[in-house]
Amino acid sequence: MISSLSPQPLIKPNTGTTLSPIPHVQNQRFKLASHVCPSELLSIRKRPGSACAATTQHRRYLLFPAEEEEEEREVKFTSDAPALAEELQRESMPRHVAVIMDGNRRWAHLRGLPVGSGYEAGVKSLKTLVELCCKWGIRVLTVFAFSSDNWFRPEVEVEFLMSLLESGVKEEKESFIRERIRISVIGDTSKLPKRLEELVINVVETTKNNTRFQLIVAVSYSGQYDLVQACQRIAMKVKDGLIEPNDVSESLIEQELETNCTEFPYPDLLIRTSGELRISNFMLWQLAYTELFFSQSLWPDFGEAEFLEALKSFQQRRRHYGSGGVSSEFANSCYVVYIELFFAQSPRPDFSEAEFLES
Amino acid sequence: MDFRDTMQKVYSWACQIGNLGLWIIWLLIHFAVDLWYFALHIACAIESYLISSGILKRYKALDIDKLRYLAIVIESEEAYHIPAVIQLLQWLVDIGVKHVCLYDAEGILKKSKESILGKLNNATLFEEAGESNLLLDHKHITLEFASFPDGKEAVAKAANLLFMKYVKLGGSGKIQEEKIFTEAHMSEALRAVGCKGPEPDLLFVYGPVRCHLGFPAWRIRYTEIVHMGRLKSMRYGSLLKAIYKFTMVRQNYGS
Repeated sequence: MISSLSPQPLIKPNTGTTLSPIPHVQNQRFKLASHVCPSELLSIRKRPGSACAATTQHRRYLLFPAEEEEEEREVKFTSDAPALAEELQRESMPRHVAVIMDGNRRWAHLRGLPVGSGYEAGVKSLKTLVELCCKWGIRVLTVFAFSSDNWFRPEVEVEFLMSLLESGVKEEKESFIRERIRISVIGDTSKLPKRLEELVINVVETTKNNTRFQLIVAVSYSGQYDLVQACQRIAMKVKDGLIEPNDVSESLIEQELETNCTEFPYPDLLIRTSGELRISNFMLWQLAYTELFFSQSLWPDFGEAEFLEALKSFQQRRRHYGSGGVSSEFANSCYVVYIELFFAQSPRPDFSEAEFLES
Repeated sequence: MDFRDTMQKVYSWACQIGNLGLWIIWLLIHFAVDLWYFALHIACAIESYLISSGILKRYKALDIDKLRYLAIVIESEEAYHIPAVIQLLQWLVDIGVKHVCLYDAEGILKKSKESILGKLNNATLFEEAGESNLLLDHKHITLEFASFPDGKEAVAKAANLLFMKYVKLGGSGKIQEEKIFTEAHMSEALRAVGCKGPEPDLLFVYGPVRCHLGFPAWRIRYTEIVHMGRLKSMRYGSLLKAIYKFTMVRQNYGS
């Protein structure tokens, strides 16, 4: 079971109350008038929600090179990938993003391709997402690669998925080490083919000290299973006399969940692709205050533009109790323009006192 | 000096005109965005009216039997608006929904249970509805009230029950743990601590944030989750549309 194989967390597990939502910083940017040229005050800048299609297309071209190169393309973390998109606020980026990668089979079916092609295309989307997360400062990405329910799929399909997982991990292992990406796997790995299970153990162990970015892959995972295995682990401690049965609390259960392999066990944002509106037994305990974003794109079509849309939606929506809705979205999207105009009216520091009083 | 003064005056006028221009531009942007959202609002209202009045025929043929259990999560500040909650429940009764779980994190709806049940003529508590009452007539509804302690705290209590059982059996060894701590046993233990509600088919979230605010996690494995916006902006048409969309969904359950 993965519980005996998962690496010890580098950081002390989060034992805070589960009631506190992760605070979201509203989009606020103040520009001092002294830093603004007069000509700039009269220009209207692009704000969240007004992404230029051409720019997006250009960025997509950078990330999706010619088809013949894609086969050999490894995960690259060079400066080719863009810096943080101008529509996003760095201080409001989610620390932990979770993704349910749904729609691979439908994608293949729509194109008259075999199901395997859909999964292979999905792997490319995952590589793109990992690159973007690294570049945009997201610390943890959890992906729902294979659910415990997926074992009921046709055997041929399951075997293909296992081999795809194995080849993917082997191919990317060196780049994970080079790029200091930590790989963690959650789920019941005892059900995996022996070779894959050993490979997973090896990669997890090899990358456990990497700190730049963490990729958590949920394989043979279910949210209910996660809770049950946490109880099993606690039971061992009860048996050993370390804990009294009546002392078991929510925080104790949280410490034993498999997602405690990360500094940020609670996702800020969950993205599910393909338009389905459910979480399908994924991280049930951890998603209490997670922003849910259901994307219409099928997973192989989920690229930078779609991820940007999800992040913008996350940043624009209020994450704390209070006013919301349309007026808040308008305020967020036009706030910077307003502030710039406000400061345009304010006297500039190089005004003389007399000029200031006169204006 | 005169020339300098003149230039300063000209500059001052130019700044004032520039500021005026910026204000006008800001007002125009404000107006354009307001107009856009107004148009969206009107479109939603028209669609909602068309759905409510039955003009859009497809919403008439609603297979409500597919919706066996509905959960409604209301953000705690909005949960104080009990008349709105009652109106929502009345609409659900009119649509034909039979079983509803009302949830808010702080338990405000639980505290207003009597008031809500009193205002709805044909509602009973889910716990009091026995097996014989499960086949309710069209205009009857059962209500379950839940709050944050029914989620994670309940799981902890259920886990404690299992631990007591484990200790009683003199548990030792991995096999024993795996036999006692299973998903089925956890479900039983949750029922034993009072969390008897079934898994909802559909969950509506009313509030500014798009999350389920701690609704009992054990119960939402395959629940469709729909964010409906603010409670004060709820519309009958939107409600009907969301339920209709749910009835058209086909789940694979991972297989």
